Amino acid sequence: MANIAAQRIKREFKEVIRSEEVAKCAIKLDLVDNNYTELRGEIAGPPDTAYEGGNFVLEIKVPETYPFNPPKVRFITKIWHPNISSVTGAICLDILKDQWAAAMTLRTVLLSLQALLSAAEPDDPQDAVVARQYKENVEMFRLTARHWTNAYAGGPNANPECDEKIKRLVDMGIEEHQARVALSSYNWDLERATEQLFS
Amino acid sequence: MGWKSFQKIKNKLQWKVGHVSFVQRVTAASKKNPSLEFWKLAPKTIYRTQNMSASTSEEVRETASSSSRGDGGDKPNTKEEEKKEDNLLECNICLDTAKDAVVSLCGHLFCWPCLHQWLETRPNRQVCPVCKAAISRDKVVPLYGRGSTKQEDPRDKVPPRPAGQRTEPEPGNNFSGFGFGDGGFHMSFGIGAFPFGFFTSTFNFGEPRPNVSPHGTPQYMEEQFLSKVFLWLAMLFIAWLLLA
Repeated sequence: MANIAAQRIKREFKEVIRSEEVAKCAIKLDLVDNNYTELRGEIAGPPDTAYEGGNFVLEIKVPETYPFNPPKVRFITKIWHPNISSVTGAICLDILKDQWAAAMTLRTVLLSLQALLSAAEPDDPQDAVVARQYKENVEMFRLTARHWTNAYAGGPNANPECDEKIKRLVDMGIEEHQARVALSSYNWDLERATEQLFS
Repeated sequence: MGWKSFQKIKNKLQWKVGHVSFVQRVTAASKKNPSLEFWKLAPKTIYRTQNMSASTSEEVRETASSSSRGDGGDKPNTKEEEKKEDNLLECNICLDTAKDAVVSLCGHLFCWPCLHQWLETRPNRQVCPVCKAAISRDKVVPLYGRGSTKQEDPRDKVPPRPAGQRTEPEPGNNFSGFGFGDGGFHMSFGIGAFPFGFFTSTFNFGEPRPNVSPHGTPQYMEEQFLSKVFLWLAMLFIAWLLLA
């Protein structure tokens, strides 16, 4: 790895550790390997959103050309959000692509992602299914996102109705995550989800 | 709060001014001059109190901010404070103390090598890495500290750009489209008996014309010599054809 990249990540790592957001448990950063090429980030779901109370883990890969090119970031924790793929965790955020600037740091990236959670951009989607739901039925989107936060990110707001529907599909021999995806995609319409799963 | 207190003072003052003026006017009925002087003075006094109230509110603000600063300042020790001051001279890209420092017109500090690399990374979108203002090589100002003996522009010390490298494709390996393909269009004429002349033109379809060898080399001299010999031969041949 180029010298500048490793040295900068070292400095940034220290900056994040010292930052007040870490003190408030809003963001977290851990090393995955010792040569500062891969890190693990964690952001808290912003308050007053469907993601409140959840902790979302991120995979951060630092390219050799860092900081001249952006780090590669992906959600490891499954999340229901218009700009994040519910399948791969890929993120659609301009600063991680063409709007990257060399003065941005891992701390600002993590904070930007946290901001993305509280302000989705359904017109520039990564996950078309989620974005459609967000535009057509925001309440249904919030419910689904809250349920996913509870299921995967340790969020406190469980929805017994959703859990019940998933349980019924699981009883039919469907894998839990698959059942959740089908139900989420069909606005928790059990009949249509079942139809899609068995067709 | 500053505004409110000012209003209060103003109200009081106006009342006082009004009151006094009434008294004054009464007294001035006999002596006309002082009353005129009073009316000249009045706006000034109002102005002064206004200024005073403004300054007091500023003082309040200052004391408030200094007290909050004091709260924050208790925790970090002096070393960290020193570090913070150092941060002011850190390059915004490598986060290290800026070497060959340059500053953009938007006021952001960089090492020149760092900024140069950033500008090279996106030649068609040259923006400040901090504030995304438009910047370019010509719009940054080099910084010279007192200690630096060499007063040379850091921009002249650009990391040398790697020279362009291109290798010629291997000749003769691929069919180069009747010799038109790589811009080297050439024709060959053959004069001779019918079936043999046909061969002379068809036989060098595949292979492109060999490159001209560089000037000065023995090969170049030889080629020049040969071309002259053949030119003379051709002229002799044509002369013979015409005469015969």
